[in-house]
Amino acid sequence: MNDFLFTQILTELEDAVGRENCSVKEIDKATHSADFFWLSRMWVDRGRRMPEADFIVAPKNAEETSKVLKIANYYKIPVTAWGGGAGSQGGALPVCGGIILDTKRMNEIYEVNTEGMYIECGTGAIYKHIEWAANERGYATMHYPSSLTCSTVGGFLAHRGIGVVSTKYGKIDDMVLKMEVVLPNGDIINTSATPKHAAGPDLNQIFIGSEGTLGIITKAQIRIFEQPEERRFRGFLFRDMTSAFNASREVLQKFKPSVMRLYDEAETASLIKKIVGVAKPGAFMNVAYEGPRELVEVEEKILLSIFAKYGAEDLGSEYGEKWWREKITFFYPGHMMDIPQMFGTMDTIAPYDKIEKIYWAMKEAIETKYPFAKFIAHFSHWYEWGAMMYDRFIIDGEYVPKDPVEAMKLHNEIWTLGIRTALANGGVVNDHHGVGIKLGRMMKEQYGPAMQVFEALKKSLDPNGIMNPFKLGL
Amino acid sequence: MNMTDKSKNIVDNCRFCWMCRHVCPIGNATGLERNTARARAFGVSLVARGATELSELSDNIYECSLCGACTNNCVTGFDPKVFVREVKREIVLEGLAPAYITDLLMKHAESGNIYGAEVPGELGALACESADTVLFAGLDAWAKTPECVLSAMKLLSSSGRKVGLVTGDSGFALHFLTGETDESREAALACSKTLMAYKTVVVYDPCDLALMKHEWREWGIGTPECISFNEYLLSLVRSGALKVKKGNTEYMLQDSFAYARELDDCKSGRELIDSVGTVRDMLLIGKEANLAGHLVMAEYMPAVIEAVAKMRWRDAGNMGGENIVTECPQEYAALKATCPEGCRVLSVEEMLLENM
Ligand SMILES: Cc1cc2nc3c(=O)[nH]c(=O)nc-3n(C[C@H](O)[C@H](O)[C@H](O)COP(=O)(O)OP(=O)(O)OC[C@H]3O[C@@H](n4cnc5c(N)ncnc54)[C@H](O)[C@@H]3O)c2cc1C
Ligand code: SF4
Ligand code: SF4
Repeated sequence: MNDFLFTQILTELEDAVGRENCSVKEIDKATHSADFFWLSRMWVDRGRRMPEADFIVAPKNAEETSKVLKIANYYKIPVTAWGGGAGSQGGALPVCGGIILDTKRMNEIYEVNTEGMYIECGTGAIYKHIEWAANERGYATMHYPSSLTCSTVGGFLAHRGIGVVSTKYGKIDDMVLKMEVVLPNGDIINTSATPKHAAGPDLNQIFIGSEGTLGIITKAQIRIFEQPEERRFRGFLFRDMTSAFNASREVLQKFKPSVMRLYDEAETASLIKKIVGVAKPGAFMNVAYEGPRELVEVEEKILLSIFAKYGAEDLGSEYGEKWWREKITFFYPGHMMDIPQMFGTMDTIAPYDKIEKIYWAMKEAIETKYPFAKFIAHFSHWYEWGAMMYDRFIIDGEYVPKDPVEAMKLHNEIWTLGIRTALANGGVVNDHHGVGIKLGRMMKEQYGPAMQVFEALKKSLDPNGIMNPFKLGL
Repeated sequence: MNMTDKSKNIVDNCRFCWMCRHVCPIGNATGLERNTARARAFGVSLVARGATELSELSDNIYECSLCGACTNNCVTGFDPKVFVREVKREIVLEGLAPAYITDLLMKHAESGNIYGAEVPGELGALACESADTVLFAGLDAWAKTPECVLSAMKLLSSSGRKVGLVTGDSGFALHFLTGETDESREAALACSKTLMAYKTVVVYDPCDLALMKHEWREWGIGTPECISFNEYLLSLVRSGALKVKKGNTEYMLQDSFAYARELDDCKSGRELIDSVGTVRDMLLIGKEANLAGHLVMAEYMPAVIEAVAKMRWRDAGNMGGENIVTECPQEYAALKATCPEGCRVLSVEEMLLENM
């Protein structure tokens, strides 16, 4: 872009959001150029610069957002929303330059409504901050991802995120009542007064998971819950995963625990041993159940009797409580994988008849083709019909090519193989981290002709293709 | 860029970690991505890899309050303050400090304090010659909240103890602005010489005390027998020398980050409140204390410090608090300037005085 046009656009953006909320400083551009995506981290670790936006713009509300999108549409420049930048799929990376629309000034908590049981907030609010607002009034959001402290409400909505007590309380798409969205043309819309209706398809669900490709979510009503009277934990050791799946499916026909986490033998022997201290061979499972004390008592009885039937060793409550206390410790540097290692989480979801098959197929495919790769998994969000697998591959630094281009090729090859194997065995491209630029190419493989529904939406809402180009396969 | 291995290690770990962003008072007030420990580390890591220039980071480095909320939150124990201080020194030594920082340093060179204020009274001029215990009021408190220092003296004199007043420059502001430089060490040394003449030094500003207890010692500068103002007041209350009355007022404590995190004292302020009223807590207290103001930063980024203080008033309001009690002049000034109608901010000495 030439200097003249650049300055012209800059002045218009400054007019839209205020001069102090529009930056072209190098530090701001660099800071918004790498997210949690391994490739972006590796790239800058090797002394390269990632693609950067030309303008970093931070609107305060839907009205200012609307002005920014109108400017972007007129000049046909890309707009990429950036919430916390803690996404792992490169969703917030401004790969084509243009505008980064940082949502964090839209962080107002407008209302904590304890009658309607929701918080209305700007989507730039850090989720932990709305949790605090709920806690201050004696309530809780019950959305506890490991990135609770670093990601925004909008980011979780845009990637269809999930937290650790989801089995009882649901995913982010179960947590939202209503949203305000700014469409690419600058129109401000509200989805609908409540989510569960028969007034046509649910508009919420069109924008949830759309990763900033169809518009910017600017406000949301997020559910809150009563704090449970009691939350109890129980750790178990299964001899293998099959018995754990059978036992868990049976439990879920009776009641919904809040936390259910089953670790494969490899993860039990590595992470769980290191952080929680379980040193025996087998598949560790941690279960929490919560609510009114009387119900918890009954649930505990059911759980213990079903798990005993499947041969689970009852490890008592200590490991589970330790896991709860340490649940985000795993994610601090020094406790998890880091560069120079290469790693990635290929979470997928499937019904019980397929999920274990997917696990073994992916493990075999990756470990056979890449013998230097380690494949570990846990299963942490459960339904009456199936479960989510949070599987990771890890390659130690000595096997990772030094040349960043070669490292990128290896990375993408492994991902393609892993996701293709998941799809071939009945899984999906992703469970809760989203698609971003990392997995965009796999969307057509999953959806086939169904992809035209997304493409049609994209075409009609964003005819100039300015919204987060090359993400979500759109 | 010169950096110790310790700093390099912190930078390389923080640069891709977002875990502590929610507690950063500056990031929360500005909403800016660059106001996080990770963004700051990320910038430094780019400089270390030759991918950008140090000059590009200057402003961002000065946006950190060194409050240590991130450090406290870090499960692994990384301390971003370490590299921020080192990079600040590098920025100053390389002549890359922003103009608003060099202006403050010039003022310090000319007037002896960064505020360019005619401080009421020369160093030591107000000292009571015959007292072997003195209250040390650092230049920040003395220049910006003299009314509090005078209230503190009034309170102390009502205890019947002979306590003199010494004002001076502990080096806090210079250290904050330049890291460990000859100038900050020299200021500390001069202050130490004055204070060593007294048997006991009651330190008014916890930021000064933290500097004395940590940096002065590291620099090999003699530290007098020091006690925090809170601890000293508590001893007077406990012994009955300060006759306070217990009433029904509810006070919210704005924990000083220096007391809570650097001096490991989250209790004395609460105990003082308890002696005259009831503690009502807000979000982020004790070790997790959220900053509510900063005298030095208010000189060069007043709007941000105002926003930081307003956020604290919001926290207090959410829990129905009307009276905030501060332990530190750094926060008193900002909270006072932003005090909503119907609310009050009191320093601990003001709180005790209203309950005598
Ligand atoms: C340590 C760590 C642990 C994690 N654990 C979990 C976990 O337990 N569960 C989980 O679900 N995820 C987890 N994640 C992933 C990450 O937190 C989520 O993907 C989250 O949704 C990203 O939110 P963000 O605000 O950081 O978004 P960003 O990374 O900034 O953006 C993500 C995507 O959303 C778009 N976007 C952001 N805001 C808006 C908006 N207002 N409107 C429209 N589009 C928008 C962006 O353009 C981008 O495409 C983890 C990440 C980290 C770093
Ligand atoms: S201080 Fe700890 S939590 Fe904060 S960015 Fe650094 S490593 Fe992460
Ligand atoms: S020291 Fe305080 S201001 Fe600086 S990054 Fe940490 S939390 Fe933020």
